[in-house]
Amino acid sequence: MKLKKIDIINFGHLSNLTFNLSNDNLSVFFGENEAGKSTTVAFIKQVMFGFYLRNNASPFFEDYKPLTHVSPMGGSLFFEDQGDEYQLERLWAKGDKTKKGILTVKKNSEVVPESEFFDKIHNIDGNFYADSFIFNQETLGQIAKLNQEDLLERIYYLGASNSRELIELRNSFEKEADNLFKKTGKKPEVNRLLKQIDDDQHDLTEIEHEFNQYKQVDKESQKLKKQLDQEKKQLEQLNKTKDHLLNLQKQLQNFTDLESLKKKQKNLDFDSNAYQKAQNLNYKISSLNTSIDSLQNQLAHLDSASDLNVEQAEKIVQKKPELLQWQADYKSCLQKEHELKSEVDQILALTPEVKKVALFDQDKIVQLKEDYHHWVKQEVPDKKPKSVVSQTIFYLGLPVFILGLGLLIHVPTAGWTLMAAGILMMGGAYYNLNQVVKQNKIVDQFQANVDKSQKNFEEKYGISPLGLDLNSLLGQLTQYQFKKRSEKNNQAQISEIKTRLDKVAVELQKILKEPVNTDFSDELNAITKVDTKLKNLQQKQQRKDEIQASLKTSSQKLMKLQLELKDILVQNKVRTLEEFDDLYQESLVQTKLDAQIVALENSLEGDLEDLIKFKPDELRSKLSEATTTVQEVKDKLDLLQASLAKVEVQKANLADSDAVFKAKQKLANTKTLFINASKEYLSNLMTAQLIQRTLDIASNERFPKMLQEAKEYLKLLTGGRYVDLVLDKKLKVVNQDGKKIEVKYLSRGTSEQLYFALKLAFIDQIKDQINLPILIDDSFVNFDDQRISYIKDLLEKIAENNQVLIFTAQKNLVDKLNRTPLTYKKGQKDA
Amino acid sequence: MKFIHFADAHLDSPFRGLSFLPSNSFNQIYQAANQSFERIVDLALKEKVDLVLIAGDTFDSNQPSPHSQLFFAKQIKRLTDAEIQVVMIFGNHDHMKVDDLLITPSPYFKLLGPDEKVESVSYETKSGFKYDVVGFSYLNNHIAHDVIPDFPEKSNNYTFGIMHAQQKTDHQDVYAPFALSEVTDLNYDYFALGHIHQRRVLSDQPWVVYPGNIQGRHINETALKGCYLGEIDEKTRQTTISFKRTSPIVWEKVTLKLAGPVSKKTLHEKILATLKSNDFTTYFSLTIENAQYLTEEERELIQDSSYWQGISLELSQNSQLVDVRFKTQSLPSLSVEDQATSKQAAEEIFTNSALKEIAAGWVKKSTLTQELADDPEFLTEIKEMSQVKLSSKLRGVSYEIEEN
Repeated sequence: MKLKKIDIINFGHLSNLTFNLSNDNLSVFFGENEAGKSTTVAFIKQVMFGFYLRNNASPFFEDYKPLTHVSPMGGSLFFEDQGDEYQLERLWAKGDKTKKGILTVKKNSEVVPESEFFDKIHNIDGNFYADSFIFNQETLGQIAKLNQEDLLERIYYLGASNSRELIELRNSFEKEADNLFKKTGKKPEVNRLLKQIDDDQHDLTEIEHEFNQYKQVDKESQKLKKQLDQEKKQLEQLNKTKDHLLNLQKQLQNFTDLESLKKKQKNLDFDSNAYQKAQNLNYKISSLNTSIDSLQNQLAHLDSASDLNVEQAEKIVQKKPELLQWQADYKSCLQKEHELKSEVDQILALTPEVKKVALFDQDKIVQLKEDYHHWVKQEVPDKKPKSVVSQTIFYLGLPVFILGLGLLIHVPTAGWTLMAAGILMMGGAYYNLNQVVKQNKIVDQFQANVDKSQKNFEEKYGISPLGLDLNSLLGQLTQYQFKKRSEKNNQAQISEIKTRLDKVAVELQKILKEPVNTDFSDELNAITKVDTKLKNLQQKQQRKDEIQASLKTSSQKLMKLQLELKDILVQNKVRTLEEFDDLYQESLVQTKLDAQIVALENSLEGDLEDLIKFKPDELRSKLSEATTTVQEVKDKLDLLQASLAKVEVQKANLADSDAVFKAKQKLANTKTLFINASKEYLSNLMTAQLIQRTLDIASNERFPKMLQEAKEYLKLLTGGRYVDLVLDKKLKVVNQDGKKIEVKYLSRGTSEQLYFALKLAFIDQIKDQINLPILIDDSFVNFDDQRISYIKDLLEKIAENNQVLIFTAQKNLVDKLNRTPLTYKKGQKDA
Repeated sequence: MKFIHFADAHLDSPFRGLSFLPSNSFNQIYQAANQSFERIVDLALKEKVDLVLIAGDTFDSNQPSPHSQLFFAKQIKRLTDAEIQVVMIFGNHDHMKVDDLLITPSPYFKLLGPDEKVESVSYETKSGFKYDVVGFSYLNNHIAHDVIPDFPEKSNNYTFGIMHAQQKTDHQDVYAPFALSEVTDLNYDYFALGHIHQRRVLSDQPWVVYPGNIQGRHINETALKGCYLGEIDEKTRQTTISFKRTSPIVWEKVTLKLAGPVSKKTLHEKILATLKSNDFTTYFSLTIENAQYLTEEERELIQDSSYWQGISLELSQNSQLVDVRFKTQSLPSLSVEDQATSKQAAEEIFTNSALKEIAAGWVKKSTLTQELADDPEFLTEIKEMSQVKLSSKLRGVSYEIEEN
């Protein structure tokens, strides 16, 4: 691949500049400093591999002062390869997206894919090209920056393509690996995690004792429970004792009371029966006294006597039956009087003439008898009465006739019959009636004579003879006169009775000293009154007698009772019943006392013995002692319970604990982190190693061949000071005296020269795969004039196999090279 | 006759790879193994099984937490109360004192071979079907010798073997190493194994079975976890087994392959689509292949656990994205002119022995680092990371200009 023409449109401060390169493998570019030599080097690289339009400063030679803002930027490179012409045109105009510029590859003036060109140079990149083919101040600068060791490494790996870059890459991986792990470090992640794993493992081992802990805790729990039971039992016992003592303390007052009560106790000679008896007697006595008083009262009351005359009264009372007889007689007299009167009235009613006749004397009565007999011989016949039957028949005949008339129209036969019957009936009846009226007129005549004699009789006796039965009248008269006599007798009897009654009334008034009517009922009442009074009087007397008898008995009884009482009092050694009462009251008090004592003794019951045994002070101290002990045991119990609870919680926690899992998980997580970090570390480390190994392999293959070329270059570069290179196990340099010097002992300057010699040799080695122009800026070779021929030789040596473009400002080098230089003249094409 | 076979409950064991989760979110995780255990017991009760075989490592350590002990005792009591025979052995993790088990004594609970000697017991189901169980427990965390020769000849009864062990390998075998042929030669009707956390049927005639663990605990314990439910035809002695999932959380690895650069939005959508929802809580590990298409910013974002948690919020069933890994197709070429060089270098570098040499300082630090250094998977992960890093850097270098 030979560069034939450089056509710059605009690049840096260069514009419209074209360089046509000769067929010679060595082209010389001559120009003063700042003429555009470095820019040309950059142009060649960037047209091939892209513009480098960075805003920030580039560390490399492509760090232009601001690119002139001209558009378009770029230009073309023309290569020749095996008879074909390749044009690489790269242009960049403002507004283009890519800052690399737009590359157009033409093969023999026809646009072809980029790869047509780049495949031919094994698709190397710009760095590779810059690294391997460009020798200038920047390359020198790169090397100058390296320390000796790195420089030597660079030298070693010059046999590998891209070595500079790969070494940097390797270094970066190594650095990263180193950041992650250090053999003896603590801070790097892998180291830290290793430590963490140890810690976690330790934690886990601790935690894995959880089960042993659990067993222990369980044991402890059992133990504590047992202890707790025992303590509880003890506490129970102690509480009992304490309660007993407490009870004793409480009972202490009772006990004291009991003692004082006992002191009050007396022996009393008190016979309760006797007392009861005395009381009874006393009661009886007093009730007897009361009764005597009452009797005496009654007696006194009874003594206020009555003024009744007993004799008279008894007499008059005895007259009561008599009076009753009188009353009966009187009543029958009145009855008789009434009967007689009514009988007289009856007689008079039947025969009122009796009354007239009664007044007649015997003679007149005889006269009367005669007159009456005379009158009786005149007699008058009787009138006949009209017949009622005849009247009736007469009146029936009319309707029969009318009926017959009515029927005449419908039933002429019956009508005629009935009409005839009616007429017959009325005719017969009328005749009969007429006969009766004629007879009665004769009777009336005779009657008038009779009536005249009658009137004479009546005027003489005042009695009508008509209808008079004289015999009966006379009979009646007899009766009448008898009755009148009886009446008279009866009257006499009534008077008699009344007289006697008066006498009795007077007597009664005398007795009762109050008015008494002469009257049966009043008198009888009065007698009853007298009788009552009499009876009362008798009763009183009887009562008095009784009372007196009672009084006598009672008095005797009283005496007896009083004696008995006295007896009892004497027996019980008391003078009076009051004393006995006092004694009784005293006995009551004692009984109560006894009861209290018994009650207290009962309530103290079992404690009594202990109470008698202990003194109060002793009791108090014992109680306080017991209380303290109970509290102590309680405290102990509390402690035990707390411990048990704690242990149980521990147990539960352990049973429920995911600590083992967590510790394991933590360890596993740490391990994961560790493995990941280790992977990161190892992959960096291995990658670095891989790069190194690749470099080794690549370099080792070429190194021997490179050495052949390189020793020539080194000789030329060192001005003949070093004549050979030897590779045994290590690379050694042979100086002009034949002395082998290990590379690491070379001076800095010589090391650099060795580096460039090898680099040139490398290019030579890869020329079959990658053949591109070598660009040498003389600024990197500070040769003095004396060595100029060495340089000439060097360049011509390189140019044997590779196209070399040398950019120099040294006139004598141009002269020495004996070639027409390409120069920079502004505005001049084809300089 | 019905039976249940499970192993490696590892009660108390942590989940690995979840260090980024806030500490309070470990509750569900903490409960997971217990829940799985409880569901197995539920299943036993529901199915009215005659026998439950527990093939070791019930607890994660020989010093299990009281909590787990009490939990276990409670669950066992549920079984023994239902007169279900439980036969259990201790494994290399839970080699503990029998007396330390808080089990309520019951004729239905049997810890087999507690003195590390093979013990044989005979039982009879309620229907009168006679069977033997033969096995042993660990006294220590290692048994370096093959124990199979100690197993007695099969009796006339249906015979279960039970053992916590690992098949012989070329390496140091310390978990009662056995050869499958030895076990099948015993010709026990059903050999209930434990120890390997991956479910595996080593043989089906006769049955030699690893039921796996009951709850996956990290991304390398993927797939459904639970127990085997076995059913024996009492006449023919034919045994059929079926797996029952009981683990509440399932780990799953998923891959998203990129075909080219994608926008952030598309990437997010693609990731969500990759984390397809299951009917159960799933913890996803996402591998993004062709990660070179991701920008560094995207990579940083996706690898940030807070991004995972953001994604997780969009997942159903309380599922979570818990891990993101990147893969590039191959190691990027470091040697421009000769790709073989970098390939050769990579082959030389990415070996466990080279790792141990290169990172000797790190390896020496602990047994964990030594184990990791020996772990080829660990190496692969490092290699993948290395590739991703390198391609990221190289891309960064070559695109540096372009990006600016």
